[in-house]
Parts: sequence; structure tokens; C-alpha cells
Amino acid sequence: MLRKRWTREIPLHLIILPGFLFLIVFSYLPIGGIIIAFQKFIPAKGLFGDQQWVGLSNFQYVLELPNFSSIMWNTFYIAVMKIILGLFVPIVIAILLNEVKHAGMKRGVQTAIYLPHFLSWVVLGGIFIEILSPTDGLVNKVIQLFGFEPIFFLGDNKWFPITMILSDSWKEFGYGTIIYLAAITGINPDLYEAAQIDGANRWKQTLNVTLPGMKMVIVLLMVLNLGNLLNAGFDQIFNMYSPMVYESGDILDTFVYRIGLLDAQFGIATAVGLFKSVVALILVSVSYFIAYKVADYRIF
Amino acid sequence: MKSSNLSKTAAILSLLLLSTGVLSACSANSESNKSTSSPAGSNAVSESNGEVSGDKEPLGKYDKALTIRFARDVDNDMQDNIIPKTPGETVADNRWLKAYSEKLGIDVKYDWTVKGGDAYTQKINVTLASGEIPDMLRVTGSQMKQLADADMIEDLTPYWDAYASDLLKESYAVQGPAALNATLIDGKMMGMGPAEVYGDGTFLWLRTDWLENLGIEAPKTMDDVLAISKAFTTQDPDKNNVNDTYGLAMTKDLYGGAMGLEGFFTGYHAYPNMWIEDGSGNLVWGSTLPEVKEALKALSTMYKDGEIDKEFGVKDGGKVAETIAAGKVGMEFGAQWNPMYPLISNYQNDPTANWEGYALVSIDGKPALSPQNFGASEFWVVRKGFSNPEALIKMFNLHMELNWGKTGDFDHYYMPAANDSVGVWKYSPVQPYPPFKNLNAFKEIAAARSNQTLDQLTGEAKSIQNNIKAFENGDTSQWGWPKIYGENGVYRHSVDYVANDQFKLESFAGSPTKTMAEKQSTLKSLEKEVFVKLIMGAAPIDEFDKFVENWNKLGGADMTKEVNEWYASVKQ
Repeated sequence: MLRKRWTREIPLHLIILPGFLFLIVFSYLPIGGIIIAFQKFIPAKGLFGDQQWVGLSNFQYVLELPNFSSIMWNTFYIAVMKIILGLFVPIVIAILLNEVKHAGMKRGVQTAIYLPHFLSWVVLGGIFIEILSPTDGLVNKVIQLFGFEPIFFLGDNKWFPITMILSDSWKEFGYGTIIYLAAITGINPDLYEAAQIDGANRWKQTLNVTLPGMKMVIVLLMVLNLGNLLNAGFDQIFNMYSPMVYESGDILDTFVYRIGLLDAQFGIATAVGLFKSVVALILVSVSYFIAYKVADYRIF
Repeated sequence: MKSSNLSKTAAILSLLLLSTGVLSACSANSESNKSTSSPAGSNAVSESNGEVSGDKEPLGKYDKALTIRFARDVDNDMQDNIIPKTPGETVADNRWLKAYSEKLGIDVKYDWTVKGGDAYTQKINVTLASGEIPDMLRVTGSQMKQLADADMIEDLTPYWDAYASDLLKESYAVQGPAALNATLIDGKMMGMGPAEVYGDGTFLWLRTDWLENLGIEAPKTMDDVLAISKAFTTQDPDKNNVNDTYGLAMTKDLYGGAMGLEGFFTGYHAYPNMWIEDGSGNLVWGSTLPEVKEALKALSTMYKDGEIDKEFGVKDGGKVAETIAAGKVGMEFGAQWNPMYPLISNYQNDPTANWEGYALVSIDGKPALSPQNFGASEFWVVRKGFSNPEALIKMFNLHMELNWGKTGDFDHYYMPAANDSVGVWKYSPVQPYPPFKNLNAFKEIAAARSNQTLDQLTGEAKSIQNNIKAFENGDTSQWGWPKIYGENGVYRHSVDYVANDQFKLESFAGSPTKTMAEKQSTLKSLEKEVFVKLIMGAAPIDEFDKFVENWNKLGGADMTKEVNEWYASVKQ
């Protein structure tokens, strides 16, 4: 019986094969490169060349850098805020959109908010730099109309992280909304009928039927996001930051880029990258454990 | 139950696949950046040439064509000016590559080309990591050291002695032994740097039409400079009744040949961003000295008073050049070539805009010294095992000969008048030039002007004089030339600088030391970060002392020690 099922499912399992190969080639084989973190790496000698081993001194150097603690904090803060907004906003919008009965309107809004997802940060970064400029940017012209002082969104350490978080959630909430809308569509209509018969109004229905129905997808996305906790968004920040806001906007990835590709200090850059991966591994494990305890949710 | 678990698994796996798909898109990008050539194959080609005839002539031609693989960057000037104005020529096929092929029997092939200097540096870093480098390439000092440490490049010492032409050797001797010393690693010449390792002056560029509008005299001290900056900000120098101008143009990089601050700092006898003697015979990093703090304090006051662009901290040279072009700013420090870039753009938008170069001034009676960084930051190296390392030196010989030699044709190979005087010399993969060539051209022109023999000029001086004449005859695109070489050209201050010994030369003139190769760039970014913050008032000025402390702790102290060891070794 079991064997028969197995043979029947072989084609299905084969579908996964390219993905596995992909993971092995691009995600597992490069792990070997982390040995660079323990070397005084001279690229010209090659990965398998006669490199000098330095133990943990690369890590020590990184930890001694005066800005490292702020980089850690920025990464963490920006990523957590993005995750929270990235969960909250799409859920709310999805529930609201679900209440819209006019099909054309619903689809129109859905498409409009989904569009920014397809623009790259290289393009958007340029646009934001222009419209957020304190001297001649559109946004500040409006702010000044209301009699306020112009705000230097991309050059002020108070505003930079907030700008990053809000602009990221603006770009991505349409994408998230679609996933949640799909989850809502999957809820059995009988449940709503039963709730109505029990006297639940629209709000109660949302609270007691819609949200619990979405629970699995929300938890799933949250767990996947937590794995990304230390990816605060290289593309976005790289395209909009400047030395003025390193203090509040420099994240692990931009730091690795500067140290590794610009300064060619590969050993130190790898050490930061490895450090990041270890922390991310711990975070994923913890969040998975919590998801299991709290929501009885398991992947395998 | 079982099946719902399965579908869940499938859902998660497909999500994982999606996310890896996104990741792979990123890595695919960087993969495609890598060189696609097969070095093994090309090695075979050059090795098959093996015993190229033992022609020891500096400009002798190889019997059998020698193919050399290079890599290069293509800058904006090349893209926007040179290629459009030289019809039929491209980066891979032009008069210079023809000259190397016809006169030396050397065929230049490019493994890859990239747009922009930053991209070039990054790509070289990646290329180094891949271990497959072209036959010859241009690298930074620390890259050269890495390559030498890894035994990947040729020692050029024997070839220099045997092949360098007299003209080349003379040029490299003009500024003392520093030009050749810079290429030495463990006493061996591992690459070819520039012959000109110190420039010929930094100047203060001012909008004289604004000075006239406000009735202000040319500055004699630093206080005058600050007063002019204030007047340019508050007194509506462009007379448009809008408060839309400011004093000093500067970029987020702080230093540089245009819109840099070196000339401002020197007014306080501060010399950041270079190694200088501290007065007791030891070398120190200029940025860590207390005079720098004074200058930063002055800059932060100017920033607070609106005399500096509020957004300078996010603007690179290109962006700041736009504000200059728009006529918003009236003062900047930089090199002699500033009228060519960025100042001419201001004139093109507004013919009344008139910039002029002034000598640097100081805060007290002591003369301001023009700071000159040691300029040998890039070197040409030859891949270890390449069959004919001497070919690099022969190419240097030819470049020098065709432009400044007796048999040369400056008007064809440097800035041909027939092509709107664009710098076609950039087509050459190697670009050495004799030090002080511009200053000498200025002197020749000045002498000819007073002797009324302008029509007898030759070479570069003749080309320049033609451009000046073209401007006088109404060709506005040549606006910059009289600003530099004309009767009131900025070089007259350079002549004074030389006569009064007014250069502050960077004292460290070796290849990067061990710690420098590793940590200098990190320390330089730390420096810029802190200085920008101090200027913008985002941190109290006393943060400067903490910066010095951090700088020393993060490798600066080691660097200083190594630099002084080097200094002791060359002083004997």
C-alpha cells in the first residue's frame, strides 16, 4: 500500500529536484567560503591558496569597530519594524478589500497597490531622493505649504530609518495583501452563515471567522519573515543612504558590502556575514519553536 | 490529516523555491560580472609567441604580432565627448591601438571594459579573487601589494633598465626618486606608476562677477574668504531678489581636485588626508592634528549659517556640479583644470558668470602652502608568466614619444583640433605624461606672449594657444583655456608657488604598508563620516578628539609606526 503510493508520487517528488540542486549549488556549496572569516585573506592567492590563519581576530576587529553596535541595532530595528508593518498593513487592507463588493473597484485597487512591488529600488531610490529633497522635493514643498520646517528625510538620523520602513511597507503591502486575500477566499462560507445566524455583525464575523481562518497563513509568513530578520533590505538602503546617515541607517549587509567589495577586506566582511548567519539561524530556530508552541504549527 | 500536512509541506517548499529564485537573481548578476574569457586559451596564444625577437630598442617593433590582454574603465568624458567626436573610433579600435600595432607590433585586446572608476575597482577586486587576471592591468597600490604578495605579477626592475627610453627616464626623474620608489615592493619594481606624483597647485576659484556686484575685493586672508562666503549667502550676489545662493561648494567626499576642501584646510595650516612631517622629523596623518579641528569648527559655523548646501552630505561631485551649473554657489577649491569641469557648465547656462582662480590664503600672516597629495595611487602591473613583460615599458615609451617626443604628433594623439580638442589620449591603455607639462606649457605661452612670438609655439603649448584664440574668436566651448593658460590664467599663481617654495608635499611616498593595505580605506571612511557629522553639527566638535583616539586604536597607530619605519629607511 505504502509502496504503491510512493511509486505513484515519484513524479511529484521529481518536481522538487531542480530546487534541491539549486539549493545545493548556490546555497550549500558556497558555505565552504566561510573559512575566509578565519583568515587574513589575500584574494590573489585564491580560496585554496596558502592563506594565513588568524583565528578569531577578524571577529574581534569587527566587534571593536566603534559603529558596530549601532549597525546591529539598526539592522534589528529596521527589520523588526518592517516585519511588523509588513504583517499588519496587508492584513488590514486585505480585510477591508474583502468587504468591497464592487468587483471592478476591488480589482482596480488590488492592481494599483500591487504595482510598486515590481519596481526595483534602484529606480525607486532615485525617485525618492528627488521627491524627498528638503530644498526642492515635492514632499517638502507640501510640508512647507502647511507652515512646517522642511524635513531632510534621507539625511537626518531621526528620519532616515522611519523613511526606510514606511517606503518599504508602501512598496510591498500590495504583494502581501494578495496572499491574505487568497487566504480569506479559502474560508468556508458556511462559517459566515453560521455566525450570522448566531447574531454576529460584520465586525464580530471578522474577529471570529476571518482572522482565525487566516491564522495559518499569518503564522507561516511570520515564521518565514523571522528568518529574514537580519535582512533589513540591502537594495533599498544602499540606494538611498549616505555617510550622513550611517549612524542610523547602516545595516549589516551594507556594511559587508562596503568592507568587502569597496575596501577589499574579505576576511572581515566574511566574518560579519558569518556572524549574521549564526544569529539568523538562532532566530529561525526560536521562531519555529514558538510557532509550534503557540500555534501548534510545524513545517515537517 | 496526513494529506493536509503534505499540502502544507508543498506550500512551504514552493515558497522556499520562490525565495531562492529571488536570491539566485541577485547572485546571477554578480556571476555575469565575472570575466568570461578563458585565460588558459589566451595564455597559449602569448606563450606561442614565446621567443619574440630580442629587439632591445625602446621603440623597436616585434617581428611577430604580440597580443596583450588588458582591462579598462570607460569614463564619462570618453562616453560623452571623445567617442562621439571621433567618428569611426571605438574603445576597442582607435588611433592609439593602431599606433601600438603599427609601430610596436602590439595588439591590444580588452578582456572586459566597465563604465566608471568605482565599478572598475570593484571588478578588479572580483577578478583578483577569481585568480584569472589579464596580461596587463591597472590596479591600486594595495591591489598591487596583494598581487605581489601572492606572486602573481612580474618584477619589472630588469626591464625598466633595459627598455625605458631616455625621454621616459627623464620624466620619471623630474620630481625626484619618489615616482619610482612608489613602485618598489621589497626593493623590486612591481609596476609602473605615474611620472607626475605631485600636482602643480590647489587654488581658490571665485565668481568674480558676484564680487563685482557686491563691490568686494579679492581675498587676502582666510577672514576675507569667510566674509565673501557670508556675503555670497546673504547679500543676493546674483541680484535676482531671491535668497537662493550660498558660499562654498563642497561634496560628501570632502577632498578632491574639484570642490574639495584641501585648500580651505590649508588656510588653517591643516593638512588632512595626507602624511606630513610633525616638525620633529616624524610622520603623522594630517587629519589627526588639532589644526584640523579648528578648520572643522569654522566649517560647522558656515554650515549653521547656511553658507554650505544643507544637503552636501548626500551629494557627490556630479550633484554639486549641478548646483554650480545652476549658478547657486560662488566659491570652490580645486585644481587648475576646474574651469573645464565643473565651472564651464555655469558659464554655458549664464554667460555673465565669470570664475577666476586665486592663490590660497591663510588665517594669519604665514603664507598658505598648497597641499599636494602623493599622487601615485594607481599602477600598471604585468601578469606573472606573461611572455613579454617589457612590452608594458615599450608602450609607455611610445605614449610619451608620440605626445612629447621629437618624432611626436601632439595634435593627432593628444587633443586633436580636428576633433574639437577632446582628449583622445584616453584611448591609450597606458597614459604616462611628463610632470609639470602644463605649467611648462603656461610658461612657454607666457614668454611667447610677451615676445609676440605666439605663432612660433609648438606641441602642447601650440594646441593650447589655438584653443585660447578660438575662444577669443567666439568659440564659447573653449572658455576654460584662457582661465587656465591666459594672461590672467590660474597658472601664474603656480609659478609663484614654485618660486616661493609654497608646496606642502605629502611625505610618505612608498607603496602601501602592511596595515595600510588592510585598514586605510576603512579609516578613511571613518574619517569622512566623523568630519561630515562635525561640519553638520550633528555631533559636538569635541567628538574630534574621540575620532583621533578611535583612529589610532583601529590601526592608525600601527600605520604611523610603519610609515615612520619607511621614512627612516629612505632618509639615510
